[in-house]
Amino acid sequence: MIRDITIGQYYAEDSVIHTLDPRTKLMGVLIYVVALFLVKNSYVYFIFLALILMLYRVSKVPLSFLLKGLRGIILLLIFTFIFRLNSTPGAEIAHIWKITVTEEGMAKAISLTSRIALMIVGASLLSYTTTPKEMADGMEKAFSFLEKLHIPIHDMAVIVMIAFRFIPIMLEEMNVLMDAQAARGVEFDKCSILKKCKNVFTLLMPLFLSTVRRASDLAMAMEARGYSGDGKTSKMYPLAYKHCDTMAYIGMAGLLIIIIALRIIM
Amino acid sequence: MMVVKNLSFTYGKGTAHECRVLEDVSFEINEGEFIGLIGSSGSGKTTLIKHLNGLLKADSGDILFQGRSIYDKNYVLSNLRKEVGLVFQYPEQQLFKSTVLGDVAFGPQNLGMSKEEAEKAAKDSLKLVGMDESDYYVSPLELSGGQKRCVAIAGVLAMNPKILVMDEPAAGLDPGTRDMIYRLVNKIKRERNISIMLVSHHMEDVAEYADKVLVMYKNKLVRTGTVREIFSQTEYLKSIGIGVPQITSVTERLIKAGLDLGHPAVTVDEAEELICRELNRLKGKGKDE
Repeated sequence: MIRDITIGQYYAEDSVIHTLDPRTKLMGVLIYVVALFLVKNSYVYFIFLALILMLYRVSKVPLSFLLKGLRGIILLLIFTFIFRLNSTPGAEIAHIWKITVTEEGMAKAISLTSRIALMIVGASLLSYTTTPKEMADGMEKAFSFLEKLHIPIHDMAVIVMIAFRFIPIMLEEMNVLMDAQAARGVEFDKCSILKKCKNVFTLLMPLFLSTVRRASDLAMAMEARGYSGDGKTSKMYPLAYKHCDTMAYIGMAGLLIIIIALRIIM
Repeated sequence: MMVVKNLSFTYGKGTAHECRVLEDVSFEINEGEFIGLIGSSGSGKTTLIKHLNGLLKADSGDILFQGRSIYDKNYVLSNLRKEVGLVFQYPEQQLFKSTVLGDVAFGPQNLGMSKEEAEKAAKDSLKLVGMDESDYYVSPLELSGGQKRCVAIAGVLAMNPKILVMDEPAAGLDPGTRDMIYRLVNKIKRERNISIMLVSHHMEDVAEYADKVLVMYKNKLVRTGTVREIFSQTEYLKSIGIGVPQITSVTERLIKAGLDLGHPAVTVDEAEELICRELNRLKGKGKDE
């Protein structure tokens, strides 16, 4: 039902990975993805698989979450697999209906599918271990050098933060509205899709109005406290690299070197 | 008319955020009764009233409406929603149609009335809440806060409920408008002869209008009784974080100071009567001596 939408996939735990600086984790994902694309020999993916399993272990995120991340892209994976299988020329090994399976196709399909799957699993670990707020903070700091090019990174970060902050408020408001309209005889559960769309309109209108009102109230409140967008704002919890972040960067560099070396050797 | 039996409810059952909100709540709503429901914030009042028209389903316990259990498999909940009108806190939030009349007619139309019937019901209700006919076709957003609330109340009234449940109908309004809303509630009760359940933090209002008072504390219904029975328990009410009407405190202190009023008053009118009687008695006594 529309009532329970979960925003973000944060899995609260107390692990080394959760306490890492969000910038470190963002960088980690970037390096991880780049490294994935540097792989030529499919056997190297086993290294990545082992790495991911280890990281999930360290982060204390249950392995069922790993599969949950994959479930969302299962269609993409299947299509990738079938199309690669079908459309790669080479030595034919089987012919089922209209699909011609070649040896090269098989190898390519497996390698490409596992690359995508590993990428998603790695990226979801980031969202499992980082709250949206940390993510926005990390992004802001990581891209702050762009401020020199007059790109308003700080403003963007504020916008993103406010958007995140508003989601639970809007959800709550929507629940209130759903109750109020249900009390006036609107059905939200047991009716046709068409009726449902029509009924959702009874929520959208008031929700939209209150959001606009809330936004202008917030703008007023921020201005009343002297917020103007320019000028330095200080942070309640400034980001600072810790000992474990250094270790993580060393690990990432190591991974990159190993993968490049493997690419050259194999 | 409605019997609530041993109702218990838990939010988010089976998850980590499990939260008990109602424990073993039982009471009755009789025809034409005016019930006040009081209790400090977070005591479960709003959750309780959401059960009355089936918006929430209890974990255990039962609700009988006109003798039939609303948790019966064959019971049609939309019928119940018609009979038990619920006005939530800040009901003006729910207005969404482009005209006042359209918004008020929305409820009855959902319940299967034709457009004409619904508009007739809407006009009746709008008249009852005292809306001017010239305002029927303006946008509800152009009205003042008090008027918006009246329109929202009319929107529920238009469904012709037998029980009207109102959650803090006067929250956030100025004193003048508040009085108007309460007079309106009373007028609705008189003219339609329906049962009313009023949730309020304002003890004065509850004392003034209600026949029966339910007191909730920490998810439980701790007291049920007439206005006088409830508000004579000053110490207890204070200990659970809700007060008594100001006039009750005042008369109580008068009694402590030696004025023999008999019992504390719950409304200003009653206090006036008691004090005048006592003063006259004292005067008479003075003459005798």
